[in-house]
Amino acid sequence: MISLSDVPSRSAFASVGPMALAGLLLLTAPWWLPAIGLYQYLGTEIAIWLIFALGFNLLFGYAGLHSFGHGAYLGIGAYAFGLWQQNVAVGLWSGLAAAVLAAGIAGAIVGALISHRRGIYYALMTIAFGQVFWFSAMKLHSITGGEDGLLGIPRPPLELGFAAIDMRSNVALFYLAVGLLVVALVVLRRLANSPFGRVLQAIRQNETRARFAGYEVWRFKWAVFVISAMFAGLAGGLFSMAQQSAYPDVMSLHQSGLIVMMVLVGGGLVSFWGPVFGVIFYFVARDVLGGLTETWLLWYGLMFMAMVMLRPEGVAGMLHLATHRLASLRGGTHLAAEKAS
Amino acid sequence: MTYLLPHILNGLTLGLLFALIALGFTLIVGVMEVINLAHGSLFALGAYFALTVIGGGWFSGTEFGVWWHGLPIEHRYVLALILGPVLAAGAGMLLELCLRPTHGKAPLYGLLLTFGAALVIEEIIRLGWGTGEQNLEVPEVINGPVLIGGFIYSKYKFFAAGFSAASILCVWLFLERTPYGAIIKAGAHDSEMVRALGYDLSRLRLLVFGFGASLSGLAGIVMVPIWGLRPHVGIDVVIPAFLIIVIGGIGSFWGAVVAALMVGLAVGITGAYAGAWATMSMYILLILVIGLRSRGLFGRKSALEN
Repeated sequence: MISLSDVPSRSAFASVGPMALAGLLLLTAPWWLPAIGLYQYLGTEIAIWLIFALGFNLLFGYAGLHSFGHGAYLGIGAYAFGLWQQNVAVGLWSGLAAAVLAAGIAGAIVGALISHRRGIYYALMTIAFGQVFWFSAMKLHSITGGEDGLLGIPRPPLELGFAAIDMRSNVALFYLAVGLLVVALVVLRRLANSPFGRVLQAIRQNETRARFAGYEVWRFKWAVFVISAMFAGLAGGLFSMAQQSAYPDVMSLHQSGLIVMMVLVGGGLVSFWGPVFGVIFYFVARDVLGGLTETWLLWYGLMFMAMVMLRPEGVAGMLHLATHRLASLRGGTHLAAEKAS
Repeated sequence: MTYLLPHILNGLTLGLLFALIALGFTLIVGVMEVINLAHGSLFALGAYFALTVIGGGWFSGTEFGVWWHGLPIEHRYVLALILGPVLAAGAGMLLELCLRPTHGKAPLYGLLLTFGAALVIEEIIRLGWGTGEQNLEVPEVINGPVLIGGFIYSKYKFFAAGFSAASILCVWLFLERTPYGAIIKAGAHDSEMVRALGYDLSRLRLLVFGFGASLSGLAGIVMVPIWGLRPHVGIDVVIPAFLIIVIGGIGSFWGAVVAALMVGLAVGITGAYAGAWATMSMYILLILVIGLRSRGLFGRKSALEN
């Protein structure tokens, strides 16, 4: 099986063609999405979950730290954004900053408590803390509105100093989400390819070895947890803005498990871009399969099981294998030698 | 004290039922090194199978009526107590066959596969038995209130506690006093050695998974008249089971039993003072115990840490 470290590193610009195509598809999404029978809001939803999933993959795919309670930080971001709009001030940037900060603080506290744990104990503690947050959101009626959640969260306009753009239309919101996604992508890609990202990969391969190499492993585990929680918070803030509400459902174990599924199906373990495939696949499967049958989750679940059994490296892993095979067919013998098995 | 007593009894009953679920879970973790997130779904399946055997859900219509639905409820209940676990064991063994490609890989893959299986089983339950809350009919003998000393308590909860305690004892006797139990324990300790001694390891795993699933299914049948039967009951129950084996120490029999009783009591006593926060108490307990002893109360170093 291949993992991220086996994928030969490439420069950021090696895949200009596909990236330009993806960028073009993304920017024109509000026009072609309705044309193929889907709806505009889907694009916004995918962009938001991509921010969440890509930030999560820094923790999951790069550092190999399996968090099964990450929905909590999305939810904390969503509540922080909503509470800020309703109780402090109506403002886009301040609201998003509150969301990122709140999720970051929660992540910093939890991260400090779990960063000395390893393997399954780490996964378990993330579940336990995730459940604590979910439970608190359900029970603290006076703050979170309990099971109904916060309703009527406004969509504040985008203030750029010289102009303010109204965000009430879904198209405007889509471009805001895409803009933030691009910023997130740049930051995450820089982080992943920085010395920090390399240490994370060293921790995933062998934590003990990384410690003996002189790194204070727990600090890195803490930092990556906080960073991924902050991205989750950003996604959460956008999510509550898009939905105009915040509710505890996104914090449940179920949702936290779904984000792990999306990242894995896409191939987050082997590629930076893996989560992109996974998130798009999940939402398209939900809407296309969901249009055909009530029990779409049954088919998605069966497909996921088959994937874990047969191709755990996900869509991105299959693409890597395919491009390697193609390259070796063309006579690239040096590539054939490093072909992953 | 008279105010607390029913809550303590509730907690002990819950703890004994949790112990029954956690024992199956811990056996599977020990032998297979798989965190079975579908364990709660097998619990739900056992209960739903029992519902069908007793006469609800699938086959409950007259066209598909089964001959035994004419029998008195006592007989149908005993039949359900036998058939439910057997069918749950079948489902568990099917899941074990699906898990085979993940053997020898990181524990993450087993965990993810069983998470997928939990989703699938929940959807199958919705499809087959409907999404609403349902109830499992129980015989008159174990139904209704009972008066002991100065207070009234549910007869059924006494039955549930006694039945679980007896089942736990049987599991202990099976593990400690039979050659099969010895092989299972040895398999949990060092599966390579068991293979070297000539035992068929894949059959052992299949049997252990089936056995664990049947314990979970059995717990499901006994527990749902207290908890209620709904498609996502599996998620509600796999989390306590998970917390319990970690509090007790992964792979430890007595760890599971002691931790289950602790969790049950914590939930029961919290319920007496702050009902809404009862479930939270088990997470707090987990965070406290793991904070103090990272491998749980009776835990030893295990392969799952890497």
